[in-house]
Amino acid sequence: MAADLTLFIDGREVRDQPGKTILQVATESGLYIPYLCYSPGMKPYGACRMCVVEIEKTRGTPASCTTPVADGMVVWTNTPQLQELRKGIVELVISEHPHGCLTCHRVELCGPQDICLRHVSVTDRCVVCPKNERCELKDTTRYVGMGLTTPLTYRYRNLPVENKDPFYDLDMNLCIVCGRCVRVCEEVRGDSAMGFRERGGLSLVGPAGGSSLLESGCEFCGACIDVCPVGALVEREHKWEKAVERVSTTCPHCPVGCQLKLEVSQRGRVIRAIPQLEAGANRGQACFKGKFGLGFVNSRERLKAPLVRRNGSLEEASWEEALSLVAERLSGYKGDQFAAIASYRGTNEESYLLQKFARSVMGTNNVDHSSNLRPEIAEPLRDVLGYAAATNTIWELEDARCILAIGTNTTEDHNVVAVPVKRAVKKGAKLIVIDSREVELTRYATVWIRPRPGTDSILLGGMLRAMVDEVMEDTAFLRERCDNLNTLKHSLWHFDLNRVEEMTGVSQEEIRLAARTFAQNGPAAILYALDNVPASHREECVRALADMALLTGNVGKPHTGLYPLRPGTNDQGSWDVGCVPHLLPGYQGVADPAARAAFQGAWGVELPQSKGLGVREVFEAASSGRVKAMLVVGDSPGFSNGELGDVLEAAQKLEFLVVQDAFLTGLAQVADVVLPSVSFAEKEGTYTNLERRVQPLRKVLEVKSTQARPDWWIVCQIARAMSAQGFDYASPSQVMEEISRLVPLYAGVSYPRLLSQRGLLEPMSWPNFPIPSQLYPAQGGQRASLQWPCTSQESGDTPILYAGGFPRGKARLAPLEVRDVPIPTTVEYPLLLLPGRVLHQPHRGAEIQVAGHKSYIGRDELLEIHPSDAADLGIGDGDWVEVISPGTRMRLRAQLTERALRGAVSATLLFGGLASRLESSEDPDPFSRVPGLKVLPVRLEKAV
Amino acid sequence: MISNHGDLRERIRGALANQRARTVTLLSSLLAIEDELGYIPPQAIEEVARFTHSTINDVWGVASFYPNFRFTPPGEHVVEVCWGPTCHLLGAQRLLHAVLGALALSGEGDTPDGRVSLKYNTCLGACSQGPVVSIDHQVLGPQAVGALSGEALVERITEMVAELEDGSV
Repeated sequence: MAADLTLFIDGREVRDQPGKTILQVATESGLYIPYLCYSPGMKPYGACRMCVVEIEKTRGTPASCTTPVADGMVVWTNTPQLQELRKGIVELVISEHPHGCLTCHRVELCGPQDICLRHVSVTDRCVVCPKNERCELKDTTRYVGMGLTTPLTYRYRNLPVENKDPFYDLDMNLCIVCGRCVRVCEEVRGDSAMGFRERGGLSLVGPAGGSSLLESGCEFCGACIDVCPVGALVEREHKWEKAVERVSTTCPHCPVGCQLKLEVSQRGRVIRAIPQLEAGANRGQACFKGKFGLGFVNSRERLKAPLVRRNGSLEEASWEEALSLVAERLSGYKGDQFAAIASYRGTNEESYLLQKFARSVMGTNNVDHSSNLRPEIAEPLRDVLGYAAATNTIWELEDARCILAIGTNTTEDHNVVAVPVKRAVKKGAKLIVIDSREVELTRYATVWIRPRPGTDSILLGGMLRAMVDEVMEDTAFLRERCDNLNTLKHSLWHFDLNRVEEMTGVSQEEIRLAARTFAQNGPAAILYALDNVPASHREECVRALADMALLTGNVGKPHTGLYPLRPGTNDQGSWDVGCVPHLLPGYQGVADPAARAAFQGAWGVELPQSKGLGVREVFEAASSGRVKAMLVVGDSPGFSNGELGDVLEAAQKLEFLVVQDAFLTGLAQVADVVLPSVSFAEKEGTYTNLERRVQPLRKVLEVKSTQARPDWWIVCQIARAMSAQGFDYASPSQVMEEISRLVPLYAGVSYPRLLSQRGLLEPMSWPNFPIPSQLYPAQGGQRASLQWPCTSQESGDTPILYAGGFPRGKARLAPLEVRDVPIPTTVEYPLLLLPGRVLHQPHRGAEIQVAGHKSYIGRDELLEIHPSDAADLGIGDGDWVEVISPGTRMRLRAQLTERALRGAVSATLLFGGLASRLESSEDPDPFSRVPGLKVLPVRLEKAV
Repeated sequence: MISNHGDLRERIRGALANQRARTVTLLSSLLAIEDELGYIPPQAIEEVARFTHSTINDVWGVASFYPNFRFTPPGEHVVEVCWGPTCHLLGAQRLLHAVLGALALSGEGDTPDGRVSLKYNTCLGACSQGPVVSIDHQVLGPQAVGALSGEALVERITEMVAELEDGSV
């Protein structure tokens, strides 16, 4: 973009666009102006006055964080007068902050046990502050040059350190009340879990009235910790460990693909994760999983050497022995008696190699990734639109005027996606939530529709019908860009609203209201995970959603589109590189002779042509003996939560099972050979996130004294031990070169491009970095990432799909049909439980019970029952009931309400309960197994 | 006395629903509850958050900002001693010390038995009658109690306060 204004900062000529503030422009050009209340990514606040500057021909000393730049401005940031003003401000700020060390010239040289000439007591020293090496107050104080004349006394508040909440420590003795935490929670995250309390000199920050974060609606995203300039808010774990290195990589927990800076301690542990402001996917935000759920990397339970089953038990073996055994045994199971399952955290390269191994070496299409439990949620988009992927970027949602979220618990499953949604609502956008469960987004919803579970596709058909009835479609868009309008309209005649109302339990008025809200508030976007839609109805739902987006002209434009929210970290990438049973890399059907010929040419072998078994069928095939040998990479929640049936039992029927994993999981325990793989932090590769953004994984840690190896290396070694050609890669970068040659969507993707970055200040010799820490999050820089289609090394990427037209010319509207909804309840379990989880319920107070230094939410959990159902069961209001589903029991207090659906009961718990459970879990990686909110058939019993 | 939580919530909801303020805001809601109950219980913070579509933290931020809101039940009687400039010049200090002595308090607060709450007031708006105290919102000065001298006023007020405290009123 052309620079259209020029200004001079400290004599240096700076060119930039209008609309920014002086502080932003200065920081982006590497000029330091100290600040405390401002934080990049938030609105200017202008409270602390540290960032005052002098502007020639302007009276006074304006705050540079609130003053917009103008052409020809001459700004001075560091005159003696300004420094005097700043000294005064710092003196006030540190009059309540322990600061003996802040004003000491030898602070870097001081160790915790040293005798202090200034008589700073040990507990007040900077070296014992958990934020010592990233303290912004320290940078500021030193920049301002507070001398030895600074008074050494301060008022210590003498408040106890609050450590009752999961993950957080709050030391309000160190707080300088800059308000960043309060503002980030309210302005950026939309939660307001913290506020200011009291006023004047007593003012501090924190949750309401002495309560805890557990009660106040905290989602434990850690945003307040990340912005806190001092040691008042810190991560509890590894609180006292100092980082010696920071490496940027991609979070392995969900398909948002947050870019995190991982801090590594001297002992080679990952101690903290700090989300990157300059990352396109997360813009400085993360969630409880990325912020606090990476400890598994440091676990002592990690596998250290290959294990081979000898005489019925797994024993350590050498790589040679294990690999030759695997190669020898697998050679006997070529063809469809073999199946491979990739990890849901597998990189593009690993998924590519595994499918290449299965297809070219083992000769079978039985290959899938373990999180591919709902292939239907993106697949129909190929027929209607062209690509099975989200059409727009995550942060475009922020400026949508209407967002429809259906069957998604976004705040927990794809947390950072909920951030722009909440921000959009703050800006006045309408949010329509269609979910039988009460999820966090319902708090922000303009319209919350609770259909009878499973009837979502009929409801959507009803909405489409209402749109057509009231002529709300975008006729110009439909005429120019879509086919099949009449077929769709014809099919909608079956969606008579009376009938829809009867089937879904949602009134016609509500359906019409939702339809109008969506159609009349463009640009509108659709988020969907279809958590509780039966598999047989998901395709129909997706078609209806795609039709709805097309009908209202919400495709191919900014802030519109469809976002399928798949569960696995790299589901999008695994699909792209063909790690699915019916598609070769680049979405080319296995049955298509031309596609097969191309890959046969590239790989030099004959390829199988019949569709293989996916993860949902393969364990059944294993039980029935159709599949005899398997290679499973990584663990998956689906292996243990029953979603895939009894996986362990099926696995035991296999003749030969190889598991590649970092831990001895349940599945690994029944394997014949277990090959130790490294975690995401110890390998290179790329992930493709849910918005088609290819992002690099960087090596954060060296593999220490164990024999664990990256999964791509292991698969290559197995293939080579089986004398296969084409597995001689030296690095994942070479695998990506092959992918970009074979997959046109990835033609422009390469490691050099992904690892390049623009305008980013990287600390040169951290931690003795001479530039103040406030300069790193300069907003101007950008980390490279590419959103496919990226068709050549020279061309750019594609943030918005279909902006220039559809691959087939026109989109093809899909006709819909009314289908009977399967009845999920049984005679034994006649009711449906709709579980819910929200951040807080202001009308129902929560009490905190402390047990063993940890706090838990203690309150009577309520079960909402329709009075007629309750009468049938003889349950009265306030009675204790047991909710029994296969395998679980819960004790809840009945609350009779007309709001409840007949035949369904609902219980909404607090997210805080989950947070404290995750924190106290013994599992090395509990964050990958956050229990989903699954609608379950249950029966009720009156408790005694 | 407030017997149980259910009643308390009902009273709070009632107060919120029947506010007389022309513009209903978070602050007017808090004031309505203070009028109804004399204080802001934790349940009220929750109910106001729900009523105004904000969070408990926002409500708490506002409520804790104003020293006039109290968060514990007030005593049965409220004594306010004016220490505005006029009353100060007319001898409010003596009056204040006498009241503190009668209640056995060392500053603002409630007596341990919960009978009397003592508050300082910066001006009760009755400067012409100063020095004044207000007992249960009734402003009392020299004329009101028929005291002709400062000593008599102090004596009379001390007596009245002591009566409140020993329960004979």
